[in-house]
Amino acid sequence: MKKKKLVMDIRGLTKYYGKVVGIEGLDLKVYEGEIMGFLGPNGAGKTTTIRACLDLIHKSDGVVNIFGLDSHRDSLEIRRRTGYLPGDFGMYPDLKVRTILKYLLSQNGISDTTRMEELARSFELDLDRKYGELSKGNRQKAGIVQAFMADQDLIMLDEPTSGLDPLMQKKFYGFLREERENGKTIFMSSHILAEVEEVCDRVAIIRNGHLQVVENIHSLKEKMGKKLVVEFENSVDTGLFEMEGVNDFSIDGRMVTMIVTSNLDEVIKTVSRQNIINMSLETFSLEHLFLTYYSRGGRDP
Amino acid sequence: MKLGRTMLMELRCSWRGYLIFTLVVVLILAGMVEIFPSVSEAWQHELDGAENIDIVTVMEGDLAVIELTWVEHPGADNYTVMVGNSPYMIVPMDRVDGIEGRTYTYQAPPEDGTPPELYFSVSAMVDGERKFVGAESTMERLNPLEETLGLDYGDIRGFMSVIWGMWFVLLIGLYIALAAVNSVSRDFEEGRMDILLSQPVSRRQYMLEKFSLVALVTMVLLVISGVVSVASVNAVGELETISASAILLTTILSWPLFLVIIAFSVLMAVYLDNSKKALGITFLFVLVQYGIHLVGDMAEALEYVKPFSVISYWNHDSLLHGEAVAWGDTVFLLVLAIAFVLSALYIFERRDVPA
Repeated sequence: MKKKKLVMDIRGLTKYYGKVVGIEGLDLKVYEGEIMGFLGPNGAGKTTTIRACLDLIHKSDGVVNIFGLDSHRDSLEIRRRTGYLPGDFGMYPDLKVRTILKYLLSQNGISDTTRMEELARSFELDLDRKYGELSKGNRQKAGIVQAFMADQDLIMLDEPTSGLDPLMQKKFYGFLREERENGKTIFMSSHILAEVEEVCDRVAIIRNGHLQVVENIHSLKEKMGKKLVVEFENSVDTGLFEMEGVNDFSIDGRMVTMIVTSNLDEVIKTVSRQNIINMSLETFSLEHLFLTYYSRGGRDP
Repeated sequence: MKLGRTMLMELRCSWRGYLIFTLVVVLILAGMVEIFPSVSEAWQHELDGAENIDIVTVMEGDLAVIELTWVEHPGADNYTVMVGNSPYMIVPMDRVDGIEGRTYTYQAPPEDGTPPELYFSVSAMVDGERKFVGAESTMERLNPLEETLGLDYGDIRGFMSVIWGMWFVLLIGLYIALAAVNSVSRDFEEGRMDILLSQPVSRRQYMLEKFSLVALVTMVLLVISGVVSVASVNAVGELETISASAILLTTILSWPLFLVIIAFSVLMAVYLDNSKKALGITFLFVLVQYGIHLVGDMAEALEYVKPFSVISYWNHDSLLHGEAVAWGDTVFLLVLAIAFVLSALYIFERRDVPA
């Protein structure tokens, strides 16, 4: 199997703002052609990480290599190959969006505006309106078009769907998947769990500037287990479920709730030996996983 | 080549301001030169009836001998001469009545080896009534502003020197400080610095292009102002007194001074990333420099403060009077501007861009 090419290689990335920790000892690898979700609440260090990668802020310690290039020394080359959507941004309020985007394209040495026009059409963005006249959602669309129009290899997105309506969000998720199919690598921060779950291949969870976990979303869900709720006809012996793979076992009358992390087949067979009135098996959402991480102070679930 | 695109974008955003300011400068400049003849006339205003009196001062030993001769007044029986140390003669120092002829000699001790500064008035007695003949002074300069501040509105060179050295240096200095601070601070405050600096453009290039645009616009403004000055001076018929090249050289050689102001403004803008603070400090810088320059011009005893003002290194007065360019001063201003630019670069390349 072909080994995936490493696009972002972050080792021990640390950023202090005076005595305040922005991020500390962050290790993260992002591979070519994947969408990596960077999850965390406000102030967790997501924006700091992205901005340190683009050399907009200077790291206090650690190594950041992007495309094998040093984030500070080779920042120009990195920025040549990276599109970026900041979390909070502005443009020239008195100029038309088309003028602004053409200027930014020209900074990348591109005069062909075909892709810019296509993206604007796709996201229903009127290029001939002044940026200052746009609504919050349309400004976000302008930011998205800006991030993708130079057709760069890596795209860093900080809270990309902020201000977009649900329909536009759906369209954007589809667009991200298309871009991934085209070989783009996408690193996006978000605090919207559903969107990370919907589009990302892997997720990194950050809390108070420290990375908690980096995992394939499906593996993570598997690791989290499934919630099995069974209503028996009669009371059951608690010892019955003391078996491998069953965690957080609880009984409320004839209702039994357990978290099954492995050995599901054996657990179901054991349950089915009793008379069952009702039963549900539920996969945990990323939200549950996220909350679990936070409620446990970042320890493994 | 991506060179110059940041400059062009900045020009696109701010050209209206530059254009309006240039028009304002041109209009004020042309208007001020237009009123020169009347200002000059008022400035050179002599005492009433001075044309009727000739005054000659001769130093004889320890005395200054001042000899007055006046024109004959019709029907005069005799004349009266009053001597005072002000032109008002409310309390004359001396008074001589019944002078039969039309001459009078007054002797007085000199002041610090020079003739005393005295005023004389001559009146005629006609049929028992006193008629004013004229007044005159031993002093060449009669205007107190000229005496105290060294201002010389009576001469086109002095007039242009005041226009540039007192008014336009402040007007242009404050405007370009505003323009330079805004060109950088607006990108911070309107939240686009992240996007601008995430493009493949180095911070050095970004900052130098911002600086260069304001510097170039200032040069264009100065050239236009110089040409308008020449045309205006020509329109009032004074190009014989002051050469076009002296005017152009004066305006164009103010560029290094304005470069210092622009560089300082950019330094403050990248250091503070808050336009109000940056503007406050930059305006203070310009006003303090201006204040020191003015104070240094007020009296010889205060001239020692002048080296502390960058404005003093632009020798507008001597340039307008046709003296040679003080290249050392010009080079000093350029070196100072470069030092500010390098400091701004050092800070900007090492600082975090605020989110």
